[in-house]
Amino acid sequence: MTMTPQEVQQHFMAYLEATECTVIEKSPEHVTVKLSPQADKMLTNRPYYWGFVERTGAPAETLSFNFVFDPEKYDERLAKAEEAKAKTQLNAPVQDPLLARYYGNAPVLPILGPGRIQRENIGYGSSRLAQIWNASREEGKCVYLFQQRDSEPRPRGRSTPYEQWLGVCFKVEFSCDLKREELFFLGISLSSRAITEDFPAILHGRELTPRLPESVHVRPAALTLEQAVAALENHLINKLSKLDYDWAAKAKERLEDELMVIDGYYEDLLKEQDEEKKAQIEEQYKNRRSEMQWQYEPKVSLSAITCGLFHLCSPAGASS
Amino acid sequence: MNQQPSADSGKIIDPRLPVPLQIDRSWFDDLSGRLDKGGPWGDYRLAQLAVEGEKSRLVTSFEELQCLKHLGGLSPLPHQTDTARRVLFEMSGRAILADEVGLGKTIEAGLILKEYIVRGLVSKVLILVPASLVLQWVRELNSKFGIPAVAQKKAYSWGNDIVVASMDTAKRDPHQELLLNQEYDMLIIDEAHKLKNKKTSNYQFIQKLRKKYCLLLTATPVQNDLSELFNLITLLKPGQLGGQGQFAANFVVDKRRPKNQDQLKDELSKVMIRNRRGEGEVKFTKRSVRNVGLSLSPEEQSLYDGVTSFVKDQYQAAGGNLSSMLSLVTLQREVCSSRDAVFVTLVNLSKKLPEDSPLRDKIWELVYLIKAIKANTKAEKAIELIQQMNEKVIVFTEYRATQEYLLNYFRDHGLISVPYRGGMNRGKKDWMMDLFRGKAQVMIATEAGGEGINLQFCHHMINFDLPWNPMRVEQRIGRVHRLGQTNDVKIYNLSTSGTIEEHILNLLHEKINMFEMVIGGLDVILERFEKKESIEKSLYKIMLESGNDDEIRQRISTLGDSIHHIKQDIELESTAEETLREEEA
Repeated sequence: MTMTPQEVQQHFMAYLEATECTVIEKSPEHVTVKLSPQADKMLTNRPYYWGFVERTGAPAETLSFNFVFDPEKYDERLAKAEEAKAKTQLNAPVQDPLLARYYGNAPVLPILGPGRIQRENIGYGSSRLAQIWNASREEGKCVYLFQQRDSEPRPRGRSTPYEQWLGVCFKVEFSCDLKREELFFLGISLSSRAITEDFPAILHGRELTPRLPESVHVRPAALTLEQAVAALENHLINKLSKLDYDWAAKAKERLEDELMVIDGYYEDLLKEQDEEKKAQIEEQYKNRRSEMQWQYEPKVSLSAITCGLFHLCSPAGASS
Repeated sequence: MNQQPSADSGKIIDPRLPVPLQIDRSWFDDLSGRLDKGGPWGDYRLAQLAVEGEKSRLVTSFEELQCLKHLGGLSPLPHQTDTARRVLFEMSGRAILADEVGLGKTIEAGLILKEYIVRGLVSKVLILVPASLVLQWVRELNSKFGIPAVAQKKAYSWGNDIVVASMDTAKRDPHQELLLNQEYDMLIIDEAHKLKNKKTSNYQFIQKLRKKYCLLLTATPVQNDLSELFNLITLLKPGQLGGQGQFAANFVVDKRRPKNQDQLKDELSKVMIRNRRGEGEVKFTKRSVRNVGLSLSPEEQSLYDGVTSFVKDQYQAAGGNLSSMLSLVTLQREVCSSRDAVFVTLVNLSKKLPEDSPLRDKIWELVYLIKAIKANTKAEKAIELIQQMNEKVIVFTEYRATQEYLLNYFRDHGLISVPYRGGMNRGKKDWMMDLFRGKAQVMIATEAGGEGINLQFCHHMINFDLPWNPMRVEQRIGRVHRLGQTNDVKIYNLSTSGTIEEHILNLLHEKINMFEMVIGGLDVILERFEKKESIEKSLYKIMLESGNDDEIRQRISTLGDSIHHIKQDIELESTAEETLREEEA
């Protein structure tokens, strides 16, 4: 799966908005932004600067960037703006208002230091995009949320029952010398024990907030968190057991073949009489074998991308 | 994650699954920790973004090249992606990449490495290359592949995930020890043919390294002896060709000729890929060569004669001691290039002499001859050629002084030219490249080897003078005649008649036929030839020892013949090597 420049831009904007960065200028092709301290810390790799700011209490100066998502169109537009500017300047020495806004009327010189706005072209493979995802994962991996109540006024004194859900986005890696991955976003209700395999569908259409709404009570849990985790894992492993493991069988075959070849090669060598040499050869033999196991042995690994506790208006309507 | 074999902790056997299961529950510890402390809690929008990002990066298939979509700026050639696919999905990441020179083995290795990184199968990488190529590798991996490789500089550099180092450093203490205690997800070795002898310390060192995937890069997997190939494969996959004894019995007639060719070919194709020029999509444009013969002006000729007799006298006076004479022969060569070059050498020479040496006078006589020279025949011709071409041209010379002279001379004649030399730092080199790509019509270079001069946008080349080492001539041509060159390459050799230059050109052009030869074979030929003596040294000897022009001609001709024989030998053997090299029948 790859992403269009528009999708990349959406992801970028979502991150910038969530981290409260200040957008200076925006077009379908680019965004010029002054980072928030939060984003600056995650993206600019300046631990010493931030250490200095925190220790001295100096006012923090965050960096600004000009992220360009569609360089071709953007450059085209810039060139046109330049042309238009040249024309208008013939008539009257008016600067392009767009540029004048942050360069003032001074001649355009390259600005160094904090005021400098660095341009960066962003595409799907950019390390900046990967950085944003990683930062998001770091800062969003554990959430605790409540469903926002409908705006219609409820009768006074009647508290709404909320159901607590544990939602986990699992990443499953099937690896040998090759690898495949799959995501499973599961959820389990701590009161009804219902498990859903599509937790985002349950969340869909609900507005979530980190603050506890008024006159709400959470239904007592029938499961401890540990039990819920065990139930989710159990469910997932059951699901995994129904998958095709042909790849693993093949990897094991490859491993056996490779080990046979190695065994064949060392068989003669291990007849070496000299003890010292023999020890060396044995060590080499052991190493080669363990390398093969390392390389080919199939396994499945389970980890989580994000998790959280979600308090939702019941009935949540878990279907499965 | 898929890490070292020892990291078995946390692996459980679940009866429902046919393979071991590894569960990472750190998320749960995190969650309970935050519950205990009442926060802090993450931002829901970021959580959603993280999931979206993970989805888009997910490796959904075992066998599909993922890395290409991560490499926006790079468009690999079809043979390169095919090679990457085969290594990844058929050879399980252990292979010899044996493409002929110039087909982009580095790109192939980069693609494979990137794919493993994207898939999360590789994080710790060791790349061993000749010292002169370390920075080039780092730069290519960084800029073309976005792979954060670093060059090994200090002992702590080894702590980085992806390190490029020279073999010589790596095998020395204390580095060797550090490396042997590591486990590398991937090991890449460039110029791997240097590992052909299993008795060398390099070979034994590599054999001790622990690695999961391994790529060996070499353009010449078999140079002299089939057992070299066997040794190389033993590093990669011991036993692939049987034991040493079995290999000899099954596949070797004598050291250069294999038997059971089909079977050998079959076995080799499991571990080695060799793409060749002119095959499939890989097409090179033609080279055309024009030798421009010039006569020295009377003044230049008298300088040449003066220098020649000076050199001869000195040689005889030195009693035939060759090593002290090298700079003197250089004088002769320099006369053919520019008076400026000779002048600098003469001045340096006289500085080294004692105040009262009678030689000083002789040298000053030569300097007066230089003063008499008013024009440079070659420079005039060069400018004429350049104006006719009216396109980008690269001019190569051996001498700094000539380079300076030409820069001035061209500028005086309204040509914009930029210099390029080995001593420039990286930034300046890049800057000169940019200028040449932009407004400068001419680049004047003293250095052809090394990195960074890739001039596909230029297809005219003038050899203002010629190196005596054919490899360097080849490097010069290789700067413009490479993958991505869309035009036929035009090579102009300026040579002055009646000088040593004429002999050298005769040797390179007529005897070795190197200007039109398909690139790649030359290094093999030279390596064999130079087992006795370097070609440059042989030439120096001929120049100094010969009494007259005819003798020079004759001896050079003999030299040319012996190179020609080696070439024929190699071509004969190629029936044998064909088997080893070609994958497709």
